[in-house]
Amino acid sequence: MSTESPPRSGDHVPAQPAPPDPTLPPSENEQSFVVAPRSASRSGGAFAMRIVEQYALAVLFVAVVVFFSVLPKTSAIYIQPDNWRNILASQTVLAIIALGSIVPLVCGQFDLSVGSVAGLTSVLTAMAYSKLHLPVIVGVLIGIAIGAVVGLINGLVVTIFGVNALITTLGSASVVIGVESWITGGSSIVQGIPTSLTDFGTGTWFGVPRLVFLLALVAAAVWYLLGHTPFGRYLQALGTNAEAAQLVGIRIPSLVRRSFLVSGSFAGLAGVVLLAHSGSGSPGVGNAFTLTALAAAFLGATSIQPGRFNVVGTLLAIYFLAAAITGLTFLGVLSFINDLFTGAALVFAVAISALLRRRKATA
Amino acid sequence: MSGAEGGPAVAVPALRLAHVSKTFVGTRALVDVDLTVAPGEIHALVGGNGSGKSTLIKILAGVYQADPGGTIEVAGHASSDGRLAGSRVEAAADHWSPNKAFAAGMRFVHQNPGVFDTLTVAENIAIGHGFPTAAGRIKWGDLRRRTQELIDRFAIRATPDAPLIALNPADRTMVAVARALQDVGTGLDSGVLVLDEPTSALPAADIEVLLTALRRCAAAGQTILYVSHRIDEVLALADRVTVLRDGHRIATRPAKELTETALVELIAGRSVATDSRGTAVADGSDVVLELHGVHAGRLHGVDLTVRKGEVVGIAGLLGSGRSTLLRTVFGAVPIRSGSIVLNGHMARFSRPGQAIAAGVSYVPEDRGREAVFAGQSVRENISAGGVMAYWRRLRLQHGHERRDAVAAMRSFLVRAASDKAPLATLSGGNQQKVVLARWLRRQPRVILLDEPTQGVDVGARQEIYDLIQRSADAGAAVVVASNDFEELVRVCGRVVVLRDGRIVGEQVAPNLDSHRLTELAYRSENAA
Repeated sequence: MSTESPPRSGDHVPAQPAPPDPTLPPSENEQSFVVAPRSASRSGGAFAMRIVEQYALAVLFVAVVVFFSVLPKTSAIYIQPDNWRNILASQTVLAIIALGSIVPLVCGQFDLSVGSVAGLTSVLTAMAYSKLHLPVIVGVLIGIAIGAVVGLINGLVVTIFGVNALITTLGSASVVIGVESWITGGSSIVQGIPTSLTDFGTGTWFGVPRLVFLLALVAAAVWYLLGHTPFGRYLQALGTNAEAAQLVGIRIPSLVRRSFLVSGSFAGLAGVVLLAHSGSGSPGVGNAFTLTALAAAFLGATSIQPGRFNVVGTLLAIYFLAAAITGLTFLGVLSFINDLFTGAALVFAVAISALLRRRKATA
Repeated sequence: MSGAEGGPAVAVPALRLAHVSKTFVGTRALVDVDLTVAPGEIHALVGGNGSGKSTLIKILAGVYQADPGGTIEVAGHASSDGRLAGSRVEAAADHWSPNKAFAAGMRFVHQNPGVFDTLTVAENIAIGHGFPTAAGRIKWGDLRRRTQELIDRFAIRATPDAPLIALNPADRTMVAVARALQDVGTGLDSGVLVLDEPTSALPAADIEVLLTALRRCAAAGQTILYVSHRIDEVLALADRVTVLRDGHRIATRPAKELTETALVELIAGRSVATDSRGTAVADGSDVVLELHGVHAGRLHGVDLTVRKGEVVGIAGLLGSGRSTLLRTVFGAVPIRSGSIVLNGHMARFSRPGQAIAAGVSYVPEDRGREAVFAGQSVRENISAGGVMAYWRRLRLQHGHERRDAVAAMRSFLVRAASDKAPLATLSGGNQQKVVLARWLRRQPRVILLDEPTQGVDVGARQEIYDLIQRSADAGAAVVVASNDFEELVRVCGRVVVLRDGRIVGEQVAPNLDSHRLTELAYRSENAA
């Protein structure tokens, strides 16, 4: 092999009248000018393929639930409403973190600090309640604000100094963990947490955990942000082609900063929910959420709207992981299954989404 | 082809092409081309836009397969340790391949030399050849010694351990040359070096340095095929010059017998009657865009005035600054000095968003990299950057957006399955019409188009010309930059010629002449 590779057509060769590119769809004239009402695929096969792709994760989820519900060894506990209430409630923190983290992901930036930020805010909010006896709502706002500040700092470092977001947020996650144990001295805060907060975190309305209603609100907010605001559309554009995004007038640095602000704020909210659900502010629990949240985000991007990070897919992924891991735990598999399953799901999901993106860009 | 065969008659040419043709669907890029390069000769290959010289280089490299019937013949070369590595290779031109080209001793260095700025000279050399190792460990001493030999042989001003970034641009190109030639022998056994526009990215001061280095190589027996569009450079460097035009070999002449005027004449040919559809705009029309002494990037003091309803062409070769000119007006290239006036107001755009808000639109040259969002739908591509228009009562009005997109697709003749079709499923021409729709539907006051029909098939090309004219008729000031001068003659009412960052000529319809534009664009400073 020589390094002096033959010239490639993409290089800046003085433009020849471009010969018709055989890789392009051959004829413009064959395609009808009529704008079809629905995006009709050429063949039924491709259409079926797309449907399979869109709902594969949903089908997998149902299959897992059915499997553990009929398996003699697990079915007795698995189908209990309490089990489901537990799964729903316990996944809320993770779900809020994951939904927040897809905002920067859409524009191509990773936020690896989300889990640690949630941990920090749960501890700091608990301290605020126990030391200052704040009204519930003020504590909640403080929690969100702490997350927002860390998110903003991440965004500023990434955009002003041009540090890779992976490194920036990996570093800030570590800083956040350090600050957390410095402030708490390693001990949990259990005193002075308002009961109205913990009631909300553990109670139910109409037999459904109250946290689920909050999660529904968060999901609606992220869905709205991504699909129904110019902000969301600019994020999508930036994530698809940064060069072109700049040349249609999008202010990339400001957009990236705001995306980290959003993920940080949702992580802050998730920290408050963590406090409400567990009833105490314990140091050292947050960071574990990050990997699972990213796994869910990437797994979610393989379904519903394949190739795009999306809210419904992310939620589906979270409950799929939870349903599977809970079932396996009931089967007697030890707790290592959690790490094993989540890690494998993340790598698998990233591989699939990379494949989908590539196909989408070259379809 | 009755070009006079100048130069020495050689028994064994270093490189010989006979009857090489290349047909793309619908176009003949090369027609029965013969080319003979003598050992130790610097042979220049020149030709205008569409002449076929890039196609010829790609055939030599084995990237394109020529049509059956031609032959490629390369004299053998010795390996660096003096043994005979490749004996004469003769092959049918349609069976030539990158491997055969390499085995025959053909080495290519491109416009972008492909060196690694942060690595040292020695590492750059090794990356072409493999690191010498002993039991898996790199033998740095050997590598340094080998690199020093190459540095001496090619008179590169550097040490083996200098990082490439510390070298000046001409020496960096020579590192690429050294890397390419390190495994072939020296003198007449050193294969054929093909240099493709090696000076287009070099500052003026470095060009002479590189040419001197190349002359030294040739004096030592290196055979060089040199592709360039710089007439002065070609005449100063080459022994013989082959001119291609419209896929035909027009002539092969000793450089000594050519003048700049004669060479430009050969490149441009007789002026072809192109039907000029553009019309000059009366001087009384409102001035929309004015550039006064603009220095930015490659531009060295550009003055330009564009009136309402006018289509002005920027004729320029690669590296002339034609794209820089458009990007400067759009706020994507910072301006060093001079001023831009838009509708009577000073325009100081530091980013594209400000230019867009002031009614400026820009369609970049590289559609795939800079204009389209391939994974997104046609609808999203049309409204990209303009979604604020649909943001009402805290919600994007998707229905409104869809109606607008569908209307724009109809108006701009975009053929797609639907407005939801992913952009990547569209042909090049339709993608370009989507980009035009994105900008032109906003009825901008200034439209900047960079190579608007690149990679677009013939049918769509005419539609794009019509769309440009329609916007001008609606009152926009349009600037089209292109190196396809016949295209400019077809669409523009006035064409200015840009060369080395300066405007060197102007023509007004109906007296537009692509032949004359070519002359102006090619002629070097000292001949002007």
